[in-house]
Amino acid sequence: MKVEILIYGYLAVCVAMIIFNIVCIFLFRHNDNQIVLYSNEFKNRITRHIKSGTVDDGHAQYLAKKLRRARNLMAFDVTLGELDAEYHDEIKSYIREMTPVFVELTRLYSHKNEIQAAYFPYIIEKYRLFDSENAGVIIDSLYELIKSPSLYSRENALHAVYSIGNSKYVIRALEIVNGNEFYHNKKLITDGLLSFTGDKSELNSLIWEKMDEFSVEMQTALMDYIRFCGGDYDNEMLKRLKSDEYDREIRFSAIRYFGKYHCDDAYEQLVKFVSANDEGNWEYEAIGAFALANYPCERTVDVLKSKLGSRVWYVRFNASQSLERLGLEYADLLDVFDGDDRYAGEMMRYRLDRKKLFAKGET
Amino acid sequence: MLRNILFNDAAFEFVKVFLEWVEAFFVIYLIGYSTFLFVAVVTGSSSLYKKRRQEKLKNTINRDYFVPISIIVPAFNEEVTIVENVRSLLALDYTLYEIVVVDDGSSDATSQRLIRAFDMKPIRRPIQRKIMCQSEEFIYESVSGKVPLTLIRKKNGGKADSLNMGINACRYPYFICMDADSVLQYDSLSKIVKPVIEDANVVAVGGAVRPANSVQIDRGRVINYKLPSNVLACMQVLEYDRSFLASRILFDKFNGSMIISGAFGLFKKDTVIAAGGYDHSTMGEDMELVVKLHEYCVTNEQPYSIKYATDAVCWSQAPERLIDLCKQRKRWHLGLFQTMLKHRKIFANPKFGAVSFVSYFYFLIYELLSPFIEIFGILTMVLAFLVDLINVPFMLLFFGIYAVFGSILTLTAFFARTQTIDLKISPADTLKAVLLCLFEITLLRFVMAWVRATAFIGYKKKRLNWGRIERKKINLK
Repeated sequence: MKVEILIYGYLAVCVAMIIFNIVCIFLFRHNDNQIVLYSNEFKNRITRHIKSGTVDDGHAQYLAKKLRRARNLMAFDVTLGELDAEYHDEIKSYIREMTPVFVELTRLYSHKNEIQAAYFPYIIEKYRLFDSENAGVIIDSLYELIKSPSLYSRENALHAVYSIGNSKYVIRALEIVNGNEFYHNKKLITDGLLSFTGDKSELNSLIWEKMDEFSVEMQTALMDYIRFCGGDYDNEMLKRLKSDEYDREIRFSAIRYFGKYHCDDAYEQLVKFVSANDEGNWEYEAIGAFALANYPCERTVDVLKSKLGSRVWYVRFNASQSLERLGLEYADLLDVFDGDDRYAGEMMRYRLDRKKLFAKGET
Repeated sequence: MLRNILFNDAAFEFVKVFLEWVEAFFVIYLIGYSTFLFVAVVTGSSSLYKKRRQEKLKNTINRDYFVPISIIVPAFNEEVTIVENVRSLLALDYTLYEIVVVDDGSSDATSQRLIRAFDMKPIRRPIQRKIMCQSEEFIYESVSGKVPLTLIRKKNGGKADSLNMGINACRYPYFICMDADSVLQYDSLSKIVKPVIEDANVVAVGGAVRPANSVQIDRGRVINYKLPSNVLACMQVLEYDRSFLASRILFDKFNGSMIISGAFGLFKKDTVIAAGGYDHSTMGEDMELVVKLHEYCVTNEQPYSIKYATDAVCWSQAPERLIDLCKQRKRWHLGLFQTMLKHRKIFANPKFGAVSFVSYFYFLIYELLSPFIEIFGILTMVLAFLVDLINVPFMLLFFGIYAVFGSILTLTAFFARTQTIDLKISPADTLKAVLLCLFEITLLRFVMAWVRATAFIGYKKKRLNWGRIERKKINLK
């Protein structure tokens, strides 16, 4: 190969990169300017309609045409955000009147590339474009997005479903996530469900009905959501706490639930978990020791004290933390400090010293 | 004429053949490097543009409580900067984190300043020793700030030892290592945990380290961005964008990152502990840990991924004196050498896939051996000149094109970064970048090649020191 060819190749690359840089700079500026321009245009038109109290067909057509471009949709987002703060009720009825436009756009965007596809569900959620009554026509498009390999498409579509407020739609969406081959962080599910706008007790009942059909990962996400929601599900949780047919992650979730919500029927099982000296399953002891702080009695104190000498650091740590949360003082723990187990004494003393030093601080 | 004096015919023929081989080698070497550079910059720039588009179109997940983080700040004689830096850490936009400062037996008032500034209290805290490290002398804690702050003063043992102590003492499942004289951008934690939320197999995430010289920062927010007035620091800004930002994005595409800067990286604690923590015996403990994680996960058949978060930003002072820059680069080069040698098992090992055949190979040829190759190239040019076997105008043209090529790629990376994070660059700074990138690629690069090639002289003496360089305080408002 002649070296000259190499040099010409380099030069061609240089020229291409210079053009690339210049085009990028101008494209960015142009896009930013267009967003400002369209935002003002949308603002004028929507304000006019709000003030006149009528929305004409021409406006709907104009919107349907313009919002096909993601850049214009960004401008529309800016405009709606500003107007919503000023004319909240009027914007609400404006959105309702524009529903046919949004139906069309939902379908359109669900077929665009994954970055643009993720954007429209975000708009749906942000401005609550649909509710239980009118979402039937677009829900399949959202379900399709939940199957997407893009986490953002899935997550934005899920949030759009939560914003609709229909429990059945949510359950179907969770089934789709459950059947997906893509990893979806369970904390996103837990957190997302907490934003559900509909009847939570209806949703929770449906979740319990379907619970066993979900994967372990999904079940723990749902149980965590239930735990954050409230403590009305002792029976379902007890069943999982007591039966060793359930996966250990599910049982851990149940232990955490009873650590938050006191239930006399759960106490024996919790003590059993904590008292077991099974190093291969130390997690039961550690999480159980933490949960027992919610069951103040002499027996709890004895069980926790016995765990201060555990060979597993986390068990010792949680036991000492629970004893502190139970309000025990130095005098109540003399047997621990005077005992043979140096680690037990050190851990407990640290908790109490810390509590004393930072009386107003954190746990 | 000189040729006739120095060489007889046989010797001349030998030199001629030798130079032909050298020429062939350098053509391949330069094609390889230029192609890598080109692919890295194009991939890096397009990734940054894609990221910007994702941000604009709300393809984001910002949760500040999903991943609890312990920030470990190893400190040695940092009395001037430590208080301000901890204050900036306390102001980060994140909910669930703690700060653990490890004072590695400083001879100045690093610990005392912290204790006074944050009303810290002495406490006897048990620490589970999962990784070996020097013993602690005292521990202080404070909950007066937004998040818990712990100070551990220990016997001097080096940066790696301090980080190991931090890992032992910290409570959360993920930890961040950083330098005591760096500043994290306000949103850096929520950005650096994103890969962890997206992929359960992530064991480490590298953040983007940027030179903070001349940048004004207020509570972790950049309020005035300028290129450094110091020429050397300014050239490093350009070098960071081309060499570090672009190449790390490229390596990220195939899980081939081999470096996460010690100034800012997130790690999964369990995996790091299982792999043995930071190595006390190497100078480049940051690179060593990442390569060790590759080796540990592949050997144990653990699915893993090591990511690079370009938008998680840490501001750090770049050396402004040549002597300091030389010290830094010598240290980096020795660290690279020690790591490559220690983990030579990865070399040409199909078990490691692209990490072996792309990343390790790249670091071996274009990082570890490149200073020697470049100096060898200059010497052969001199030899070719002496025997009158060089076409000087062509050589100058070739060199000029190479410099322009490198400069344009540098500028592409620079503009891609500044535009995609909406940093406003003044026309004067644009001009400065255009002019200095030529000097960086023609001058600084060769100076650094010499520095790196001579790094091994006397390296045993400085194996375990903290490698300090004179730094200015970051401009915190």
